[in-house]
Amino acid sequence: MSGKIAQTLRTLPISGRIGLGLVLFWLAVALAGPSLAPYPVGAFVDRDVFSGASARFWLGSDYLGRDVLSRLLWGSRYTVLLALGAALLAVATGTSLALVAAVRGGWTDEIISRTMDTLISIPSKIFALVLVAAFGSSLSLLLLIAAFTYVPGNFRIARALAMNLVALDFVQVARARGERAFHIALREVLPNMIHPLLADMGLRFVFVVLLLSGLSFLGLGVQPPHADLGSLVRENISGITEGALAIIAPALAIATLTVGANLLIDALKPGAKG
Amino acid sequence: MPIGRDLSRRGLIGTGLAGVGLLALGGCGGGEKPARPQRGGSIRVATQAASTADTLDPAKGAMATDYTRHFMLYNGLTCIEDESLVPRPSLARAFESADRITWHFDLQRGVRFHDGAELTARDVVFSLLRHKDPAVGSKMAAIARQFAEVRADGRYGVILRLTGANADLPTILAQSHFLIVRAGQPAPDGTGTGAFTLAEFQPGVRTVALRNPDYWIPGRPRLERVELIAIPDEVGRVNALLSGDVQLCNAINPRSTRRVEADPGYAVMATPSSLFTDLIMRQDQLPSGNPDFVQAIKLMIDRPLVKRALFRNYATIANDQPIAPFQPYFNPDVPQTVLDLDKARWHVRRAGLTGVRMPIFAATAAVGAVDLASILQEYGSKVGLDFAVNRVPADGYWSTHWMRHPLTFGNCNPRPTADLIFSLFFQSSAEWNESGWRNERFDRLLVEARGEADEARRGELYGEMQRIVHDKCGVAIPVFISLVDGHDRRLKGLRPIPLGAFMGYRFAEYAWWDG
Amino acid sequence: MAGAASHRSTLGNIAPLIARRALSSLLTLFLVSVVIFTVSGLLPGDAAQEALGQSATREQVIALRHEMGLDRPAPVRYMDWLGSIARGDPGMSYVANMPVSRIISDRLPNTLTLAGITAVVSVILALAIGVGSAVNRGGKLDSMLNVVTLSLVAMPEFLIATLGVMIFSVKLLWLPSIALVTPDASWSETLRSYALPVFSLTCVVVAQMARMTRAAVADQLDRPYVEMARLKGVPFSRIVLFHVMPNAVGPVVNAMALSLSYLMGGAIIVETIFNFPGLASLMVNAVTSRDMPLLQSCAMIFCATYLALMLVADVIAILANPRLRA
Repeated sequence: MSGKIAQTLRTLPISGRIGLGLVLFWLAVALAGPSLAPYPVGAFVDRDVFSGASARFWLGSDYLGRDVLSRLLWGSRYTVLLALGAALLAVATGTSLALVAAVRGGWTDEIISRTMDTLISIPSKIFALVLVAAFGSSLSLLLLIAAFTYVPGNFRIARALAMNLVALDFVQVARARGERAFHIALREVLPNMIHPLLADMGLRFVFVVLLLSGLSFLGLGVQPPHADLGSLVRENISGITEGALAIIAPALAIATLTVGANLLIDALKPGAKG
Repeated sequence: MPIGRDLSRRGLIGTGLAGVGLLALGGCGGGEKPARPQRGGSIRVATQAASTADTLDPAKGAMATDYTRHFMLYNGLTCIEDESLVPRPSLARAFESADRITWHFDLQRGVRFHDGAELTARDVVFSLLRHKDPAVGSKMAAIARQFAEVRADGRYGVILRLTGANADLPTILAQSHFLIVRAGQPAPDGTGTGAFTLAEFQPGVRTVALRNPDYWIPGRPRLERVELIAIPDEVGRVNALLSGDVQLCNAINPRSTRRVEADPGYAVMATPSSLFTDLIMRQDQLPSGNPDFVQAIKLMIDRPLVKRALFRNYATIANDQPIAPFQPYFNPDVPQTVLDLDKARWHVRRAGLTGVRMPIFAATAAVGAVDLASILQEYGSKVGLDFAVNRVPADGYWSTHWMRHPLTFGNCNPRPTADLIFSLFFQSSAEWNESGWRNERFDRLLVEARGEADEARRGELYGEMQRIVHDKCGVAIPVFISLVDGHDRRLKGLRPIPLGAFMGYRFAEYAWWDG
Repeated sequence: MAGAASHRSTLGNIAPLIARRALSSLLTLFLVSVVIFTVSGLLPGDAAQEALGQSATREQVIALRHEMGLDRPAPVRYMDWLGSIARGDPGMSYVANMPVSRIISDRLPNTLTLAGITAVVSVILALAIGVGSAVNRGGKLDSMLNVVTLSLVAMPEFLIATLGVMIFSVKLLWLPSIALVTPDASWSETLRSYALPVFSLTCVVVAQMARMTRAAVADQLDRPYVEMARLKGVPFSRIVLFHVMPNAVGPVVNAMALSLSYLMGGAIIVETIFNFPGLASLMVNAVTSRDMPLLQSCAMIFCATYLALMLVADVIAILANPRLRA
């Protein structure tokens, strides 16, 4: 297994290695970052606001005079882990539903598909606004909203993949053997669609990062004094004309995170070139 | 004390006010005229919010956009047009009361609505009485309860009898909600006596008003056309100003003022106001009802930090009571509470609350509340209080969170009189007695002050009430927040009136374009 | 003769597809209305409370509730609404005292224009970028375009819009910073007001579409038939246009339809920043004011647009690809 990974790594093109590096970097920051933060996340440490980089504040201070670096380290934990969790959840749910729909077919397929259409056709940010207003803002709700939003997209792709596979001979043979639907889905269909699904999960991850930043614009997000990366950009937006580090740093963080993930996905796609 | 107070003290505003009435006719307001005002100009004005709930009904006005629109289209019986906040005659050319219970209003003659009909007592009676009809949904329903009887006295006279003495009635009637609409209309449609006529109204999108050529005050207004829109995003609002797409906008973030002033074509107008965001500590719940807890909170607020970091000094330090230093009746003898973490810690320990986790509910619905909560959390950790900030959506905040938890934030707009702010928010029986405190002495003083004719005595009463609120009430008021407007320098004649943005929302009548 | 036959069989394939889709669309629309009604029932407060705001007194709320008909049980209200929408009448707005149809007819054209212009611009751009980089895959142009689309994806929408305004409106004074959509504006004025919103939305949707196009076209270009055609001496542009594109069109239109459906309800951030009077901000308004009939109507429109786009995508895919017609 580890040999296989090493093999994949060696064949990875430059862009893929860059992507992998960025993704690993942000994963590391998400896991270890907060313990490296020089100041508490909510502490008002600078009398000035939007100050530039200095020895005391490596990335300057934010709109209230808090340390940007500390907030960024915490913020990336929220963004990376939330996005990762939501992407996993979305792909797991979407794919399971797709397998059920594909293997069962008929009415089951129709009902699941229409439900997915229903979800996808309600504008996600507005839906998020409604849910947060109804249930109050919490991390688990954010996670659910983000996952919810991307279940239908994953479902469409997974269902298309599964439908093709179900029509293939080996699945028909399994059916003829009298295997149960559950067994067919898990043993015959799923293993053959893992690769494109992983790529899709990477894509969903990027989408969730951006969705979170969109939600922060609408005032939905992690509870203060914490903030995810999108909220950091948003709360410091009044510093945009001064080119404050408080806004550039989190924007760059989002950019490197999403670009890194994209590059990695592209490179891992079967038959990818360049 | 300003003249008006003096007049109302005498309780008679007959002959004395005829002069003021003339002043109103001649373009009152005493506005400085640095350059000669000229007629013309078409401007676009942006506020911070508009929605499908936008209305042409003054009684239902809920936002800056509404107030501004209503003041363009309609007139009130009285008006407030300078920082002294003294009510001047408007549609009522004189008003008087011997006992401050029964008031007599004498209407201007020959004032016409936009449709040509003449203003009569019937319109005034109709406009005032509709506030008592629950189906109208007036925002002033609670105040209108004081109206015992409103009736016409001839074609141009109106008699308004109150349930109890209230020396501030002329000020109350100057608010946008009490503007006069045309009698008999089930829902006001913009037909008023105001300086502008309605050309287009699309709720949530725009209002276009054109100069009323037959306006009853000669020489006004000077602007030819005013378009009112809303840009909810603050950065967007400032950008629109700086790119010349709007000529006036309100609610500029103090952090953006430097940007506006950097451009020689634009200026900011800061209006010190009695607007405040307060931390509410419910007295009927624990631990917020513990007097030591309340004291600790008041002692651990770093007011200079709030003023500096949150509002970039566009604020005035407050002292946990609602009367601002620049307002009439302010009591300078109440000692200012300052940051004292040791004392706060001592109170926390005495209340036995060290280390107890407490949620604070905050929403952007109250200006600065979320950041204030962050500051409280930070300082709380220094005195042994463990606050959990619970940011909730602005949507639904007032109906579901405000005053419903032990610790929430409130937000109180500037009110024209001490009586209004005290009776709406601090009287024991008030619907918005935010902290749910009860103080019999305070309640007694309030009623006494309302009907008090002697101005000096009234000042003493209000002074004592401020001290009681400061000492005992479960609200912490860190600062009074200044209102910051931004405008094109070619828009002249603007000056701050502490009742709200845009000269107390009435700029359209006075401003002119020097282009 | 053969052409006519294939034409007939194409239609024969498409007509039942449309009929079947129309039926299932009704089911979806119904589900959406149920979801919206249920979820909005969970919202704190109701239209009466929100309309009266912070200053509401108890008897006012009761009176207004009665006037709005909110004192009837929820299922009754829902069936009422369902009945009237089935007759084609979306009802009265609780808050604005106007028929919902009038409020929507004020705004729908704006949203459709914005979405329409953005769709045209972004589809052309996406096709150009996608095909361009697929043809040059592995080359300099490809990696350059890849970097451009990736960095577009990597920026939060509100940051793109805000930066666009700072540069084009505030600094250069070229374009208005807010969308001033008035019926009496001239063509050039209208186009100028739409420029920045279209720019921001295009940035949001174009990257995804371009990347899908590239993938689909590149996939086809690697097939043996392309090599065959080249060996036969068919000009490359001809191969791309007449052989590759028809085969790649299926996934491409599908991705495009998905992205374009975002332009209706997803434009909320752009609508907010540019003060654009569109449907998304209307729907947010309906949420905050608890204006059920208005909220439902907006949801119905967004849902119907999505379904229609999906149907169009499928029809195009079938028409363009001869193999799918069978």
